[in-house]
Amino acid sequence: MRLRRPVLVLGLVLALALCGVSGWSYARARGDGDLAYAHSRDAALAAGRSHIARLNSVDAREVDVGLAAWLDATTGPLRDELRTARAKSAEVLKEQGTTTRAEVTDAAVTELDDRSGTARLIATVRIEAQPRTGAPTTDRKRFEAGLTRTGGGWKLASLTAVAVGTG
Amino acid sequence: MTTTEETATTARAAQEPAARTRLRRFLLPLLVAALVVASGVLLLLAGQTKHSPAAANRALTDRAATDAVLDEVGSAVSRVFSYGPQTLTRTRADAHALLRGQAAKEYDALFAQVQQRVKEQELTLTTRVARAGVTRLTGTRAELLFFLDQTSVRRGAKATTVAAQLSVTVGRDGGHWRITAIEAR
Repeated sequence: MRLRRPVLVLGLVLALALCGVSGWSYARARGDGDLAYAHSRDAALAAGRSHIARLNSVDAREVDVGLAAWLDATTGPLRDELRTARAKSAEVLKEQGTTTRAEVTDAAVTELDDRSGTARLIATVRIEAQPRTGAPTTDRKRFEAGLTRTGGGWKLASLTAVAVGTG
Repeated sequence: MTTTEETATTARAAQEPAARTRLRRFLLPLLVAALVVASGVLLLLAGQTKHSPAAANRALTDRAATDAVLDEVGSAVSRVFSYGPQTLTRTRADAHALLRGQAAKEYDALFAQVQQRVKEQELTLTTRVARAGVTRLTGTRAELLFFLDQTSVRRGAKATTVAAQLSVTVGRDGGHWRITAIEAR
């Protein structure tokens, strides 16, 4: 019984020290700038992949829903462009009656400025098109996209097909 | 005050310090145990944060390593997909040095077909990297995406340029990046 107290006090000191070290270690891991940058990169990539697929997809039976989704995936100049052309796009898409479904087959972030919240991304896309009549076709495209971080996450600010000879 | 009441009061008074002693006896061990558990949780969280997939992938976070792998693999891709009647042997030697495993096997099969056409049609193919990016990068492995422009010239015909996209996997081998898998996109 007389030994119990010093042992416990020593235990408490050791436990406090251990807690301090692990707390510091956790704080350091969380405060790691590289890690925050890596998370931004992965967030931009994931958002870019899904938005590029969305902008290449439209259901001919639900053109208005598709166009609303396009606006939701974009920001800045690209969003303005899509909004201005919305009525015309809806008309053309409804007239054509083609349903397209796009899948991003690979993508990579090529530039990332975490501080200003901008990124560039390249992506390859496979697009399956089902015309109103006739057989479906599959097309492969390659895109370069500019992304901007907004209150609602990373959104597309530009999207360009990379033509041959523009490297 | 009756005798029974008196006895009860004395008993309560005796119980109070006993309860306090019991609390004191358990408070310290409990505190130690709580601190140890908290430390364990913090260490686990720190470990998870440091070794998360995002942290393990050094693409762009290590700009120098990212640029190095882009340069080395980009030039390798251009070299193995550029050939002409005069450079067939050199291209094949390059490919032998730069490709490994599945990529080497597939390339050999492709090259056997191409060789014939190159000689017959005096075909020259030049591959240029238009855009490139790194998807994943660790010390021993990397995944890259290439947008290529491939210009081919046949005897008596005009040059044509087409787009090609490749997902390329490379592994570290003797201080160099070697291509282990190629997939057309």
